[in-house]
Amino acid sequence: MKLILSMIKGHIVLFSSAIFFLTAEAVCDLLQPALMARIVDDGIKNGDQAAVLRIGGIMLAVALTGAVCAVIRNNLASRTSQKIGRRMRSMVYGKILSFSFENIDRLHTGSLITRATNDVTQIQNFINGSMRILIKAPIICVGAIVLIITQTPAELPVVGVILLLCSVLIAGNMIMSYPRFGRLQKNLDRLNDVSREFLTSVKVVKVFGREKFEEAKFASAAGDLADSVVSAIKVAALFGPLINFTVNISVVVLLWLGAASGVSGVGGLMASINYMTQILFSLGMISAVLNIMSRAVASAGRINDILDEKPSMIWAGPSEARGFKDASVEFKNVSFRYGSSEKYALKNVSFYAAPGETIGIIGSTGSGKTSLINLIPRFYDASEGQVLIGGTDVRYADMERLRRFVSIVPQKATLFSGTIKDNLLWGNRSASLEEIKKAASAAGADAFVSSFKDGYDTVLGRGGVNLSGGQKQRLSIARALLRKPDILILDDSASALDASTEREVTKGVKKYSEGATIFIISQKIASVMGADKILVMDGGRLSASGTHEELMKECRLYREIYDSQIGDSGNGG
Amino acid sequence: MADKKAVSGPPGRPGHNAVFMGGAKARDFKGTLLRLWKMTKGSRKGLFAVLALPCLMSVSAMLGPFFIGRIINGINGGNPVNMLILALILIYAGDWLIRLADIFITASVSQKLVFIIRKELFAAVKNLPVSFFDGVSTGDIMSRLTNDIDNISTIISESMGQLMMLVFTVAGVLGIMLWLDFRLTLAVLAAIPLVFILTRVVVGRTRVLFRRQQIVLGRMGGHIEESVSGLALVKAFGMEKQAEEKFEDLNGELADVGTSALIWSGYLMPVMNVINNLSFIFVSVAGGVMAAKGMVSVGVVSSFLLYSRQFTRPVNEIAAIFNVFQTAVAGAERVIEIFDEVPEPPDRPGAVPVKNASGNIVFDGVSFEYSPGVPVLKNVSFSVKAGEKIALVGPTGAGKTTVINLLTRFYDVTEGRILLDGIDLRDYRLKDLRACFGVVLQDTALFNMSVADNIRYGREGASDKEVTDAAKAAGAHDFIERTDGGYYSVIGAEGSDMSQGERQLIAIARALLAGASILILDEATSSVDTRTEMRIQTALKSLTRGRTSFIIAHRLSTIRDADRIILINDGRIAEEGTHEELMALGGTYALMYKTQSGSL
Repeated sequence: MKLILSMIKGHIVLFSSAIFFLTAEAVCDLLQPALMARIVDDGIKNGDQAAVLRIGGIMLAVALTGAVCAVIRNNLASRTSQKIGRRMRSMVYGKILSFSFENIDRLHTGSLITRATNDVTQIQNFINGSMRILIKAPIICVGAIVLIITQTPAELPVVGVILLLCSVLIAGNMIMSYPRFGRLQKNLDRLNDVSREFLTSVKVVKVFGREKFEEAKFASAAGDLADSVVSAIKVAALFGPLINFTVNISVVVLLWLGAASGVSGVGGLMASINYMTQILFSLGMISAVLNIMSRAVASAGRINDILDEKPSMIWAGPSEARGFKDASVEFKNVSFRYGSSEKYALKNVSFYAAPGETIGIIGSTGSGKTSLINLIPRFYDASEGQVLIGGTDVRYADMERLRRFVSIVPQKATLFSGTIKDNLLWGNRSASLEEIKKAASAAGADAFVSSFKDGYDTVLGRGGVNLSGGQKQRLSIARALLRKPDILILDDSASALDASTEREVTKGVKKYSEGATIFIISQKIASVMGADKILVMDGGRLSASGTHEELMKECRLYREIYDSQIGDSGNGG
Repeated sequence: MADKKAVSGPPGRPGHNAVFMGGAKARDFKGTLLRLWKMTKGSRKGLFAVLALPCLMSVSAMLGPFFIGRIINGINGGNPVNMLILALILIYAGDWLIRLADIFITASVSQKLVFIIRKELFAAVKNLPVSFFDGVSTGDIMSRLTNDIDNISTIISESMGQLMMLVFTVAGVLGIMLWLDFRLTLAVLAAIPLVFILTRVVVGRTRVLFRRQQIVLGRMGGHIEESVSGLALVKAFGMEKQAEEKFEDLNGELADVGTSALIWSGYLMPVMNVINNLSFIFVSVAGGVMAAKGMVSVGVVSSFLLYSRQFTRPVNEIAAIFNVFQTAVAGAERVIEIFDEVPEPPDRPGAVPVKNASGNIVFDGVSFEYSPGVPVLKNVSFSVKAGEKIALVGPTGAGKTTVINLLTRFYDVTEGRILLDGIDLRDYRLKDLRACFGVVLQDTALFNMSVADNIRYGREGASDKEVTDAAKAAGAHDFIERTDGGYYSVIGAEGSDMSQGERQLIAIARALLAGASILILDEATSSVDTRTEMRIQTALKSLTRGRTSFIIAHRLSTIRDADRIILINDGRIAEEGTHEELMALGGTYALMYKTQSGSL
């Protein structure tokens, strides 16, 4: 609720003008029945045509005023609620982008999507709805109560009891529906997650013929969602009609009291029954709005969860951040664990990479290669020890500068929908087409891109599906090159390239980013053999480091790898 | 600028669903409703209740005032009213129950329907060919499965019952008016065409806007999905700002479209109100004139005027509900679009089941193009004997993965045919055919389930022992045992503490468990170190004995011992033979091999 209020506060001028016009509109609305009655009583009944026209004119004027107010109010209300919705979506999305990997590992993508879209819509609906009837219903309700008090004070106790009962019922409704709406949104999350998982793994599902299984999974999520919606509505079903019934019964009570007091009170009785009907009408509206509100509050809570999620990483501000002396990288006794995992992914790793050096990293599956390089651009923080870039501990670096300084080509070549050019511009938005082409040809991508009908303007499908694995990898490398980083990390990013292509790409990359420190992770020993220094990883430890020649002499593990790929082939050369 | 984002046909893969991603064109309204109506089969009884209960409600709403009037008359005349009061209590109690039942039934019926539509939509999505998914954004389909269907439920749960009640009231009041005075009724009805014109204009506008709103919402979901899945990149490139800008574009568009839609639909009621007042004055004047000429009594005119108010209000509300319908229809249309997509071709009549496929495969003059005019495979012919181990090599983008896509019938050949044990693939039952293949794809998609369940995905109902055996064969057992929860540890969606290589090992175990007669490994070990790979190879050797297997790998040491190596270049078979033969040939393969082993 605090979130909703603070949102309204941010647009208080718009909001209150909307309320102002709403009030004017409500006054016009309330005037109309009186005017209509006068047309009948003063005009028609007396046969007075002039009076009909005169009062009709006034009525039309009032109706027009009301209409103008309504249009303005609707305009303002729509703008306000949409602006608030927009603002909240921005906040949620901005927050998501600020999350560190640890935050993201914890939250599901489906849930994040629900929160940024559906949950915001709930709040938006509530704010828009409240500006439509927030004023009208209470005005009618209070007006009716005032009339009862002034005209038939004897009935005050009855009205008091009714109002008290109804308040209790409305409160009960809210208390009971709030958690149900929360569960509803959570089930929506799951539905989103299940469908997302299917959509991103279609091929696997199809090839294993598990469509039925996925269907059952989806049906169970959809079923849970339906159940939770029904359960939330049932609360409203329980209370709404009960409020109706309570007010209706009070009419009966009034009638019964009237019958007891006899003929004298008939006029007043009719009036108060009339007022009761109005109270009933406005209570109905109020409880409907409050019901929407409990849903909005539940959604606001979920949005707050996101907004309150503490980024697990604190960055130094641009002013207090320290710069980098050069493009050297040093690990000092670095150990690392993922989140709450007990297992060390890295244990006591130390090495120094001088500026401009090419560092190869090799090691078996799960030996910690990717974990190691993830610490350089500070995707994660080392659990123990220090990671230094140009003599500065990465924890004291400015985020933007660090990420500009270090560029990484991840193992999985992720491309985004949009054109090839859009994707490459990710590296450097101000790059000219010439620069793009230069980077692309260094990465061996220019040739195939140019062969496309639309060249760099070729639109990529979802995640670049319309490219082969190797093509994606080369674009991904070109994108990183375009940043002209001081430290370039290639995380097994040529795995889908054939050897000669890879060779060309490596050559191109080295030439393009001259002077940069380059890290190359690879499974292929040929890819790292030419490095200035090779790190051999084993079970999270740095087992040896040195040049190819040194390692061949000193490191048994390295020699084994070499033999398995090249050495013992006999006919390799 | 955002509108041209529709998928066009890039060289490479298809863009056949360009229409699907098209702009904010409103579709056939009636057709959409009819389609939805068909899905209500099975819940028609409930729907009937949803329509009937509001009518009962309006009856009780009319009976209440009637009895109150009688009671007041009774008090006025000094007659006993106890029985009447009792009757009134009963009416109110009945009203309570009807309302309760109405909400209960409406909720269950509408949610049941939503559930059915969702299920059917998912069933439709699931049957779409792989090419469909290549061209759409995940987030957009998700939005259709959630937001758009939710909009449909609004029609049922809110609008339909209300509409019934209003129609009922309008009919009743119209009857009374006609009974009072025929001519004055015509005067009241004179305004109706105006109401219709107004509704048409507004609704014509809002429909397009609501549709665009749903489209933008879908695109926004797509963008969020994309940037969260690719967050590593967004962060690595410090692209937060750009991602945010793109988001803001969509966000702004959504707010703009939403605002316009709301503003337009907001015109309806106030203007309607003015029309009503005009009509009221018109009738008053007409009535006054008629009364003056003695054509009707003043009493009739006054009660007529009161009724006319009761008539126009529900007419307005019907118009307003029609407006609400538009959001729902906008959603429904986006749902129907998916139903309209062409599913994977059904099995040909007389399609045969696969019986113990031996694994003899023949490519007979196969050509294939993802998008028309851009051939990826050109007249490729080769045959594989059962039990052979075939390696597909060639430069990136040469068409290796396409061969796999055709074998598994993710796509169908454009020309030529592929035979399995002498029968065209298209003459087999698709489900059976796919069951012949154990596939490890380039992109190792794992599910958010336990490690054991992920492996078991290859074959439902496999025992724990079988799962561990498969894991052992794939060389995954050791590292699985080392993780915190072992086989029961749940793999996170973006699971960070499992390396890419480890994910590949699990995918291999999954494919091994499937126990298929043909094994396909598409760059299955690219992120696995060579020593682990050698261990897998040894295990595979015993497993693939007697099984046909296809292996795509760039690391040529992986495939050296294949029975036959097929080198594909530019969509054609360039070289074919054993490692030794190809090395002796001294062609492209030999060059590739030498480059890789560093001896060149």
